[in-house]
Amino acid sequence: MTPDHSARPEGRSSPAAPGLDRRSFLGAGACGAAVPLLGAASAAAQPAVAAAPDVRRPLDVKLRINGQDHRLALDSRTTLLDVLREEVGLTGTKKGCDQGQCGACTVLLDGTRVLSCLTLAVMAEGRAVTTIEGLARPDGSLHPMQQAFVDHDAFQCGYCTPGQILSAVACVQEGHAKDDAQIREYMSGNLCRCAAYPNIVAAINQAKSEMGA
Amino acid sequence: MSIAAPEPKANMGRPEPRLDARLKVTGEARYPSDVPVGNPLHAVLVTSAIAKGRLDRLDTEAARAVPGVVEIFTAENTRELKPLEYTPGGGGASTSVQGLGPDIAHDGQIIAMVVAESFEVAREAAYKVKATYAREAPSASFGAAGLDEKPAGKEFPKAGDAAAALSAADVVVDAEYGTPTQHHNPIELFTTTCVWDGEHLTVHEPSQFVYGLKNSVAKRLGIDPAKVRVVSTYIGGAFGSKAQLTPRTPLVALAAKRLGRPVKLVASRDQGFTIATYRAETKHRIRLGARRDGKITAYTHDGREVTSRPDAYKVAGVSDTVRLYDFGTVATSVNVVHADRNTPGFMRSPPVVPYVYALESAMDELAVALGMDPVELRRINDVTKDTVSGKSWSSRSLMKCYDEAAAAFGWSRRTAEPGSMRDGEWLVGWGCATACYPTHMAATTARVRLLPSGEVRVQVAAHDIGTGAYTVIGQTAAERLGVPLAAVTVELGDSDLPPGPVAGGSTTTASTCSAVIKACDAIREKLVRAASTANDGPLAGRSPSDLSFTDGRAVASDGAAESVADVMQRLGTAALEEYAEYIPHGVQQDGIRKLYSGRAAMTGGPHGDKIMYALGAEFVEVRVHARTREVRVPRAVGAFAGGRILNPRTAHSQLMGGMIWGIGSALHEATEIDPREARYVNDNISEYLIPVNADVPRIDVIMVPEEDAEVNPAGVKGLGELGNVGTAAAIANAVYHATGKRIRDLPIRIEDLL
Repeated sequence: MTPDHSARPEGRSSPAAPGLDRRSFLGAGACGAAVPLLGAASAAAQPAVAAAPDVRRPLDVKLRINGQDHRLALDSRTTLLDVLREEVGLTGTKKGCDQGQCGACTVLLDGTRVLSCLTLAVMAEGRAVTTIEGLARPDGSLHPMQQAFVDHDAFQCGYCTPGQILSAVACVQEGHAKDDAQIREYMSGNLCRCAAYPNIVAAINQAKSEMGA
Repeated sequence: MSIAAPEPKANMGRPEPRLDARLKVTGEARYPSDVPVGNPLHAVLVTSAIAKGRLDRLDTEAARAVPGVVEIFTAENTRELKPLEYTPGGGGASTSVQGLGPDIAHDGQIIAMVVAESFEVAREAAYKVKATYAREAPSASFGAAGLDEKPAGKEFPKAGDAAAALSAADVVVDAEYGTPTQHHNPIELFTTTCVWDGEHLTVHEPSQFVYGLKNSVAKRLGIDPAKVRVVSTYIGGAFGSKAQLTPRTPLVALAAKRLGRPVKLVASRDQGFTIATYRAETKHRIRLGARRDGKITAYTHDGREVTSRPDAYKVAGVSDTVRLYDFGTVATSVNVVHADRNTPGFMRSPPVVPYVYALESAMDELAVALGMDPVELRRINDVTKDTVSGKSWSSRSLMKCYDEAAAAFGWSRRTAEPGSMRDGEWLVGWGCATACYPTHMAATTARVRLLPSGEVRVQVAAHDIGTGAYTVIGQTAAERLGVPLAAVTVELGDSDLPPGPVAGGSTTTASTCSAVIKACDAIREKLVRAASTANDGPLAGRSPSDLSFTDGRAVASDGAAESVADVMQRLGTAALEEYAEYIPHGVQQDGIRKLYSGRAAMTGGPHGDKIMYALGAEFVEVRVHARTREVRVPRAVGAFAGGRILNPRTAHSQLMGGMIWGIGSALHEATEIDPREARYVNDNISEYLIPVNADVPRIDVIMVPEEDAEVNPAGVKGLGELGNVGTAAAIANAVYHATGKRIRDLPIRIEDLL
């Protein structure tokens, strides 16, 4: 007897599963766009229609990352996360689940926090991408949020930290850091398995005043 | 000072910020999958869709036809890999199921690996691999047909006639408890990148034991371990899941060798549930007998633990629980239950999390049966001499922990009657429990180099899995050599360095710092001798014991001093370097040789001349909503004694994080298993619930000063696994206090309280 699905390349979770993130802080527009495109990719075995772009043929994509322009030849299925890590060499953005559940891949798109694992790279064209590498000042001095994370020991292993910090910056800028309860709620899309949560809240409280919020 | 960086008390070092803090907040810390390698190929695993049976056919034709696919590895073309014996301890193989079939031993077993020019192509092709199986009905867990249950060993702790003591007891508690399957779920995925340079292999993989991984990969590949290097500079969480060789690593190494290019694998989150280990579900029957005045006279504990079909992994935490109190008489047993599952393994505080949960719940039930305050019950049964072995404790501060935590919590305001502390819509419950973790020490080495400038370099293949190892090792060298911390560079996580202990059993700080102290002392010895035996100079003729080191100088008690640079010039050397080996008392003299060959040699806990444990007391408040039965934990207080605290900041974070793990254990975490297919159902971190920020309002950590000169030269007991022991029982006990309902199976959910 054979189950319906014969083998499990990445288990049974479809990469395009709906219900995209834990606390739904990503804009619905981004999620909505991701599904049909990934769906199209999985149907790639169908005969190619003339003039329709082959998913494997490199796309010419221009991305503005941390104020620098990058021109890249990409597979249309490539996520912003994989472009940052594998193509551009900005490995500060982390892959923790690749399905919008953990927040480790959080970056800012035009100042709004998004999950780069659920954002196809082409969707970032023409928008300003900010990663953890782009947060400190050019002279090397840390962003107040980075310094606050150091001061309050707001991490242990450090793997979720870039995502936490970018999410925290956006949380303050959104006006969602009014009190501890609100910070906790609006930071709950970023999982920390070492469980530095109380220290993360303390760090955001310190940084928000320095950020003029 | 802040909550995160508490003021040091007696026998505590400075709360220095982490040495790697800047790297971690700027994204510059390179975790293994971040390390750039030239022109890598990308691998995606294909795993089995049945838990038991045989892989009849694997059709890779469609997958191979995807442009960009380079090779597909299956059972057919990986036969040259040598099978490894399963090793339950640190290092070695995590499972004896290493091949890609045709026999299928568990759901999610690796059956193929697709290697392609890009991740996207490899993933597409992986979906096109078609498997046909001869399926057999699997046995998933407790209660299934076809399980194989047997004793987990020949002998378990026993003392006196527990049966007789139970029948003579005034009060008896007899209850059964259960804990679920849990997965570590570090946020970093299980990644492996392999790069060959001729005959030399470099493995970039997050590892808690680079020497173990180096040696076991070499064995499986059939090559000389000297040709393998494992680099794991930063590890994105591990919690026990990265301590052993899992089947993926040799596959990636083989692929890279055969294809002549680096190969990079980033396994998916759901694959992590079956290609590595987990905490197995357990069941417990406990009987406690006591006199009316609260003195315990008998303790029996029968544990049952799920494991895989081929491997008898067990944690057998009775060897720890029997030490906790003065029980009078003891009888214990542990069985393993073989099921069609992947092999479980160490997960943070492996033996004590389930077993102490069960005992500390039973202790609370006994306190209720006696009508006694649960703290007083522990005080009456505090132990000075071990019930089973008669050994004394190296140090024991349990009741100090209880007293400090109880005072901070406000325990004296508790009213005993369940449901008596209602606050409007919320039923308030207060509970407490004991935390304990055996003090382990492992054989280790370290190399320390001092330059005339006062710069110090410490090298050891130990691991910082987020614990703060870089920082406390640096602090130890700085303090010993009298230089500022900023002058110390610490190198860890590379098997080209002298071997360090597995980052398991909470051994790293105690063991590595003991070796670092030894190496630093050898350097001091040379400096002292050169300064004091010189014909001239400010310290000539001084007694060596009169000299200490501070601010880069050797200083006598009257203030006479000579800079380290001058002393080294006197020695005619530009660098002083010492390699030291630390072999803890109780470890065989070949412990270091074993370590070089990738085997951890460990001692401590109940095994030495003295009973050695770190202890703590945890108090929690739960609020159960009167109508919805939602359970919240608004606050928790833990007081812990773990010998010398080298850095109150990193120690605070570890203990706090541990307590939050305990909240997860009590209320959130369980891997659900489909009993028909022996398959994990919620194999992702949105449905496998771990605590999020909104679940954790307030955690108070109190570090209770404790000195213990007997455990090891560093005086350290280890804290990494202490905080999450006891929390779950404290919460279950508080839920009883809130509702009058005793929930004995974790996690506690709304439906249990309706």
